[in-house]
Amino acid sequence: MDLFDPVQNALTAAMQGSQVRQTALADNLANVDTPGYVRKDVDFHDALRAAMGSGSSDVSSMDFTPQADTSAPVRADGNTVDVDAESSAMAQNALEYDALARISAARIDILKSAMGVS
Amino acid sequence: MGLFDALGISGSGLTAQRLRMDVTAENLANANSTKDANGQPYRRKEVVLQEASSGFGAALANAQGGSSPAGAGVQVTGIVADATPGRQVFDPGNPDANAQGYVTMPNVNPVTEMTDLIDASRAYEANVTAMQSAKQMFSKTLDLLR
Repeated sequence: MDLFDPVQNALTAAMQGSQVRQTALADNLANVDTPGYVRKDVDFHDALRAAMGSGSSDVSSMDFTPQADTSAPVRADGNTVDVDAESSAMAQNALEYDALARISAARIDILKSAMGVS
Repeated sequence: MGLFDALGISGSGLTAQRLRMDVTAENLANANSTKDANGQPYRRKEVVLQEASSGFGAALANAQGGSSPAGAGVQVTGIVADATPGRQVFDPGNPDANAQGYVTMPNVNPVTEMTDLIDASRAYEANVTAMQSAKQMFSKTLDLLR
């Protein structure tokens, strides 16, 4: 029996995915005035779902590479970044990360009390 | 790797937007300058932005089989002069007037500059918000160690 169960590993993976997504969204906002820039996003939920569905929660095997998002509307200068959409996506991502971190902390606390470390 | 990348990327955005504000301010300040260093009317300047290519660290991570980074932010490739002709103003008393009494004014339109200024300052704020968000996420991670 491992110290960290699949759920804990999945939480870690989700936090990593959320971090990569935060970086991708920050890149979108930094390039809000770059002509021809195509926005990027990370669908880490999908990657996690695929991994969990296949019965593996091996964190290292998960791939959170940002993908170019070609579905967003294109501005006259070829840029596809919408500041409002990016900001709301970023707020959502930050809240999600917060939730994941709290759940992770609670689970670590449980482990600690089981080990007798306070 | 991780959230420190996000801080650097937002920082590059801040640098780029601040430069845009500086250049816009220079354009506005020179809206009536009929002579530059070469004796020509002032030409408005514009900042050219480009998506930054990933640096050495990213190339190394890729070579070692790591995941490719989410991006490297934005970079300024140059400040170019706007080539549109300046408007002619009839002012025979001006020392820069030509034989017909017309002065070539700079091609600066204050309205364009003001909208550029607002655009740059809003984009700056968006980058600050992104940076704060990354910072908060990072401190949440540190809280796990408590």
